Amino acid sequence: MDFATLLQMLDATLRLATPLLLACLAGLFSERAGIFDIGLEGKMLAAAFMSAAIAAVTGDVWLGLLAGIGASLVLSAIHGVASITFRGNQLISGVAINFLAAGLTVVVAQSWFRQGGRTPQLSGDGRFNPITLPFAETLRDVPVIGPIYFELISGHTILVYVALAMVPLTWWILYRTRFGLRLRAVGENPAAVDTAGVSVVGLRFAAVGICGVLVGIAGAYLATALQAGFVKDMSAGRGYIALAALIFAKWRPWYALYACLLFGFLQALSLRPDIITGVIGFRVNGQFLDVLPYILTVIILAGFVGKAIPPRAGGQPYVKER
Amino acid sequence: MTVMHKLLGASAALALSAGAAAADPAILFDLGGKFDKSFNESAYNGAERWATETGGSYAEVEIQSDAQREQAIRRFAESGANPIVMAGFSWATPLEKVAADYPDTSFTIIDMVVDAPNVRSVVFNEHEGSYLVGMMAAMASETGTVSFVGGMDIPLIRKFACGYAQGVLAVNPEATVIANMTGTTPAAWNDPVKGSELTLAQISQGSDVVFAAAGGTGVGVLQTAADSNILSIGVDANQNYLHPGQVLTSMLKRVDNAVYDAFTQGEALETGFNVMGVANEGVGYALDEFNADLVTADMQAAVDAAAADIAAGTLAVHDYSSDESCPALTF
Amino acid sequence: MDVMPKWADVILIPLISILLAAVLSALVILAIGESPWAALKLMVAGALGSTYGWGYTLYYATNFIFTGLAVSVAFHARLFNIGGEGQAVLGGLGVALACLYIPWPHWSLALIGAGLMAAAFGAAWAAIPAFLQAKRGSHIVITTIMFNFIAAALLNYLLIGALKVPGSMEPATATFPPATHLPSFQDMFNFGDTTFFRGAPANVTFFVAVAACVAIWALIWRTRLGYELRSFGHSESAAKYAGISPTKIIMVTMLVSGGLAGMMAINNVQGEAERLVLNAVEGAGFIGIAVALMGRSHPFGVLLAALLFGFLYQGGAELALWTSIPRELIIVIQALVILFTGALDNMVRMPLERLFLAMRRAKQ
Repeated sequence: MDFATLLQMLDATLRLATPLLLACLAGLFSERAGIFDIGLEGKMLAAAFMSAAIAAVTGDVWLGLLAGIGASLVLSAIHGVASITFRGNQLISGVAINFLAAGLTVVVAQSWFRQGGRTPQLSGDGRFNPITLPFAETLRDVPVIGPIYFELISGHTILVYVALAMVPLTWWILYRTRFGLRLRAVGENPAAVDTAGVSVVGLRFAAVGICGVLVGIAGAYLATALQAGFVKDMSAGRGYIALAALIFAKWRPWYALYACLLFGFLQALSLRPDIITGVIGFRVNGQFLDVLPYILTVIILAGFVGKAIPPRAGGQPYVKER
Repeated sequence: MTVMHKLLGASAALALSAGAAAADPAILFDLGGKFDKSFNESAYNGAERWATETGGSYAEVEIQSDAQREQAIRRFAESGANPIVMAGFSWATPLEKVAADYPDTSFTIIDMVVDAPNVRSVVFNEHEGSYLVGMMAAMASETGTVSFVGGMDIPLIRKFACGYAQGVLAVNPEATVIANMTGTTPAAWNDPVKGSELTLAQISQGSDVVFAAAGGTGVGVLQTAADSNILSIGVDANQNYLHPGQVLTSMLKRVDNAVYDAFTQGEALETGFNVMGVANEGVGYALDEFNADLVTADMQAAVDAAAADIAAGTLAVHDYSSDESCPALTF
Repeated sequence: MDVMPKWADVILIPLISILLAAVLSALVILAIGESPWAALKLMVAGALGSTYGWGYTLYYATNFIFTGLAVSVAFHARLFNIGGEGQAVLGGLGVALACLYIPWPHWSLALIGAGLMAAAFGAAWAAIPAFLQAKRGSHIVITTIMFNFIAAALLNYLLIGALKVPGSMEPATATFPPATHLPSFQDMFNFGDTTFFRGAPANVTFFVAVAACVAIWALIWRTRLGYELRSFGHSESAAKYAGISPTKIIMVTMLVSGGLAGMMAINNVQGEAERLVLNAVEGAGFIGIAVALMGRSHPFGVLLAALLFGFLYQGGAELALWTSIPRELIIVIQALVILFTGALDNMVRMPLERLFLAMRRAKQ
């Protein structure tokens, strides 16, 4: 495998890891506050549809992005009301949200656009176009660094850079702000936070809201940046892979980046069977590569390679003692 | 149309079946849906053409899962629809089961053969049409590398790929043909994200013309080709209009004609085996105002000559599905 | 804590929840410009208006009884088995292997043999997540989700490889030999001139499913194991104190649950398709969650809820055939049922409890 091919692979990795990363960080905020969220998949799908639909109708991708985030936030609100206000089972609520999105996107898309559950193709300002970073063209011919900067770092859509920037930002919010400290505390020991006079319900709703925004961006990225329109089931299990990445990352922001890049790389690798055969000398089964993230997650969960310990109060509704 | 209206229509159709009067034809689309911009849409266009020309009406359904297939055929047969046209090879198994139960109904299946007295089986020589567009790809390519993105990895799609590779190598024996399949499940027909990533991977390997035979996935392939300023080739329906000036041509598979013929023949449908190839204009390549600037006179002359040879039988294109092997390409 | 009479808990709350789900579904239909009333009439006519419709309704219901029971059994031990989908996939594999490679002399023996294989394969697929939960504390919800994906990929691998018919386009096994074909309702209720259930896929498996309901009821409320299972679900620490081994309960519960989900395959694989196709399960594993929640995890409730969902499925298919309402509407309804009967249970329960409390005070 030569240098140019490697760069191309890493370029694809970055593109494919972006939705995983955004969804994974979304889940991180929610789960760190003690709210399990297996509804990432559904929110991503709903956001993908709404962003593409609004971008197609208005021709403005930024309005599309806002609409996508809005759709995701509505589902987040349902999850919040069910699992925080009414102290329902968070897992069941997540399952319901996934089905709601899977069904509603197609029903609405069909009645709105009549294209078999699809939105019209987006073009021009209707989608996020790649941006060339400063000096990319001039530095292109500098050996090694030039191609890396031009091919790999420059030339992505703005949302890719947003996702990457979210990693240090998430770290800073969680570990360097008072809000972050409280957020983590609410996921470990909500009673103590309550005793300190801080609203558990408020903090958890804030976390679920941040989760909705981030996963909304992930969905919009799928439909308006990676692709030029929505098709049915386009999230294709990415919400679950993000969940797997979150466990793989042991609920930490920087590890989340590494896990998502790894899973993104696996997806990029499955597009190039010729490279795998070239490097290791025999054909690897495509299905095997596709499920590798899930198998790795089960192994991590089983504690064979370090132990993944979820936030202690995760999944439990908080009942104030009287 | 409101539900009530359709409901009344449905019960009317049910009433008709008792008297076995002249009934409407029906078409059953495959999983991609009738607006997939390729195979199903071509079938839909055929039905629409018949409806506009004759002023008739027809029943249709887009199924959402494999389990609905048998049910859909039965419901239409019981409602008196005749003939019933099915687009797609996946209808073969349920049709084999059902056809005998409705001996008075004529069925047409496209892309597969079902051996029953009341079934007309229409298959296409996709390898011939793919050969023609493969020639054009090789002539348009500047890098000497061209590529193919298939939908689900099945013999039918390999037949496209194999014909395409033969056409490329006929023009330029030194050319490289890269072939990738999107997946091994029906989801591969509807995964534009992966189609687009596969295209980018092929471009990085030097490809500058990509042929997509991938249903809805092809939308992503053509989009990425246009974004990356390389040429693409559409499939089944004429897809030249999707990206004017950037789609070299489309491999036409006249599913619309097959549907139109079946609807026109009506209940007295001629059953049996029906092959649509270059010779009877069942497959071909598309030329219109959107790609006129891309197709040179040389290109057109060469392709038309090859088409004439194929039609005359002097040029034989190897059919992958005949022996599951391809002389021009390894999968 | 008995602020409400039992009938309110068992009947009134589910009824209100379903009513809420129905009202919202009707609003969705209105929003896409169709008439909910006409849609309902079409669904009733299509699903219950003929023996043909009933044949489909009961066929779907049979699937949902199995997966619903699977989720219910796990719920009793406070385990959430979201892996019914993958377990049913593996069950299908078991059925296919049994039917393709063993020369059965008669369908009744094939039913028993394939049923055992289906249960064994489903149970084996549930055993790994169960073991990881019991021994390593890995969250069973996450592991069963992962196992759903792994099962789908495994089946895909086999159906385009070892089990595929050479030259065939479809990823599917060969059709099973005629000796393994189960009698359908059409075969069983054929009285000379009048054929009932013509062309419908409901088959003898329906009676197996009903028998499974009775067996699970007996297991949970009439055996020592069932008692242990329920006490474990009630309070893990109290159960431990009473000498009940958590490992044993988790393992046994999940084996039973996975086995039930796997047994669904005798209906859809052996009974209907008579070969194994890629997406044979079609989400029935997930519908099991809705069915279990609605049926309050009681086998009789599961039976009723499965019938309701069978009706929804068949009615939904009719809607898709005759109107422009897509079949995905059923997924929306299913989501709303899960939401209201599961996650938002307290939304209905809390005001009702207050109401009953107020009524009791007024009486005193």
